[in-house]
Amino acid sequence: MLNVRLAQRSPIPLDVDLQCGPGELLALVGPSGSGKTSVLRAIAGLMPIAAGRVAIGDEVWLDSVLGIDVPAERRAVGIVFQHYALFPHLSALANVSLALPRGAAPETALRLLSGMQLDGLAARRPHELSGGQRQRVALARALARSPKLLLLDEAFSAVDQPTRQALYDELVKLRETVGIPIVMVTHDLREARLLADRLCILEAGATLQDGAPEVVLSRPRNAHVAALVGLRDIHTGVFHRSAGGESTARLRWGDADGIDLATVDKGRIDDGTPVRWVIAGEYVHLHLERPDGVNVVACVVERAHRLGDITTLACRSIAPPHALVHVELTTRQAREGGIAAQRAVFLRLDPQGIHIMPTRVRGA
Amino acid sequence: MDWQSLRLSLWLAVATALVLVPAGVLVGRWLARSTHPLKPIAEATLALPLILPPTVLGYYLLVALGGQSPVGQLYTRVAGHPLAFSFTGLLVASVIVNIPFAWIPTQRAFEAIPGDLYDAARSCGLSGARTLWRIELPLAWRGILSGLIMTVAHTLGEFGVVLMVGGSIPGETKTVAISIYDRVQAFDLQAAGSMSAILLAASLATLLATVWLTRTRRSASRT
Repeated sequence: MLNVRLAQRSPIPLDVDLQCGPGELLALVGPSGSGKTSVLRAIAGLMPIAAGRVAIGDEVWLDSVLGIDVPAERRAVGIVFQHYALFPHLSALANVSLALPRGAAPETALRLLSGMQLDGLAARRPHELSGGQRQRVALARALARSPKLLLLDEAFSAVDQPTRQALYDELVKLRETVGIPIVMVTHDLREARLLADRLCILEAGATLQDGAPEVVLSRPRNAHVAALVGLRDIHTGVFHRSAGGESTARLRWGDADGIDLATVDKGRIDDGTPVRWVIAGEYVHLHLERPDGVNVVACVVERAHRLGDITTLACRSIAPPHALVHVELTTRQAREGGIAAQRAVFLRLDPQGIHIMPTRVRGA
Repeated sequence: MDWQSLRLSLWLAVATALVLVPAGVLVGRWLARSTHPLKPIAEATLALPLILPPTVLGYYLLVALGGQSPVGQLYTRVAGHPLAFSFTGLLVASVIVNIPFAWIPTQRAFEAIPGDLYDAARSCGLSGARTLWRIELPLAWRGILSGLIMTVAHTLGEFGVVLMVGGSIPGETKTVAISIYDRVQAFDLQAAGSMSAILLAASLATLLATVWLTRTRRSASRT
C-alpha cells in the first residue's frame, strides 16, 4: 500500500493525502498547473518536499519528521514520463538494460521488451521507433528495476488514438501481472474513468476529492469539483425535507416558481437550504412521449450537436427555471427518433441520481 | 622554419587542453544545472578573457605570478626559479586565457541535455557518476570536443598574453606565434610565411571541424 502525505506552501503549494493499494490504479486528475506532476515527482523523490511522508508498505521513503529522505535513485519506482525521456543515444535494449539492478541477467531486458511486443526492435534507437513503440520501451524500462510502485505521467498523451487504445489494453494486462500500486497523472477524464480504480481530483496542489470514478463523477463533493470533472449542468434549487421523516425529499429546482423534483433525503441537509445539484448522464432518461413516474420534465431541444457516433442534445425545460440539461445519445438513436433542434421531448430525472451539494451543512 | 617553437606551441596546446577539458567538463556541467544566484557572476568572470585586451590580462597575470607576488615567491622557493618567464608560468597563463574556449561549448552541450533525462537516469537508479559516464558524456561529447579543438587552436595562435608572461626564451617560452613576430622583425619573411601558413591551416581546420560538429548536431536533433 502506498501512503502519501505532502504539505508545503512553496515553491509549489501542495496539500495532498492519498493512498493506493497493490494492483490498484489511482488517477490524479486536475487542470494544468494543479500540481499533478509535482505530486508524482515528490513521490519519486525527484522534488524536495518541505513536510510530508511517503511510504510503501513498511518502507519509508520520506518522513520529514524523522528526517528520512531516500534519494530517487534508491527508491524502487518505475516512471513513464510524458515524453518518455528515453536516452536518445542508446538502443531500446540499452535503455532497458541500464535500469536493471546490478547483477540482473542481461536477458531480462530482452524478455521485458518481448513482453511489450517489441521483438526485433531491441537494436533501434528511440528516433527509429514510433510513438507507441517508444512508450512501450519506456514502460519496459520502468519495470526493469522490479519497482514497488509504477508512476505514469500523462503517459498516453503523446500517441494517436488507435495506439492509445492498444496501450490501454497493455496497461490493463500489466495491472493483472505486476500487482503493485500504479499512480497515473492525466487530464483526460475519459481515460481516468476507463482505467482507474480510484480518482483523486487535484487543484492548486490540494486534494479536493478522491474515490471511485463513478462516485466522484456522479457525486462531486461540491460545485467546484463538479465543474472540474466536467459536469456541465450545475443547477440551483432549494431543498425541502419530507414532512413525515420519509426518505424522499422535495427539491425545488430554481426559484419559487420552479419545478418540484423528488429526491433522496439522507438526513444531512436542513429544510429550506439553498443547494446546487447535479445529475450524471446515466440517470437522465429521454422520452419522446410523456412517461409515467416522477421527475418528468417537458423540454425543447435547443441544439443538437453531432460528434461522430455521439449526439449531444441541449434540452431546455419549458417551465421555469428554463434550465438547460445536456443529454448524450447515440447518433443512430437521435436519427431514428427524429430528434433535432426544436423537437419537444421529456426528460425523466432518476431521484437516485440527483446529487445535492449544499451551501450550508447541518452542524457546520 | 622554427621547429623548436612549433614543438613548444604544440606541447603548450596539449598541456593546456589536458588541464582545461576535464575542468571544463566539471565546471560546465555544474553551471549548466546550477540555479545558484551567483551563477551569472561566475559565468561573467570565466568569460572575461574573451573580451579583455591580451595586454591587460597579461599585465595582471605578470603581477599575480611575478617575483613580488605571494604566488610567485612561493613558486620560486619550491621550484628554485621564478614562475614568470618559465614554461610553467606560460602554461598557467595559457590555461587562464583559454578558459572560455574550453568551458563555453562544454556548458552549452550540457545545457542542451533535456532535464527529464536526468530525472529518468535517477529513476533508473543511476548514481551521479554513472549518469555522467553513461548519459551526459555521450550526449555532450560534441561540445566537449569542440571545446578541445578551440582550446588547442587558440593556444597555438595566442600572442599577447604569452609574450607578456613568458617573454621569448627559445625552448622555454618562445611559441610559434612569437617566432613569427621575431622572423618578421628580422625580415626573414620566408620562415614567417611558412609558420603563418601552418597556423592558418590549423585555424581553418579548427573552424571547419567546429562547423561540421555543429551541423552534425543540428541534423541529429532533427531526426
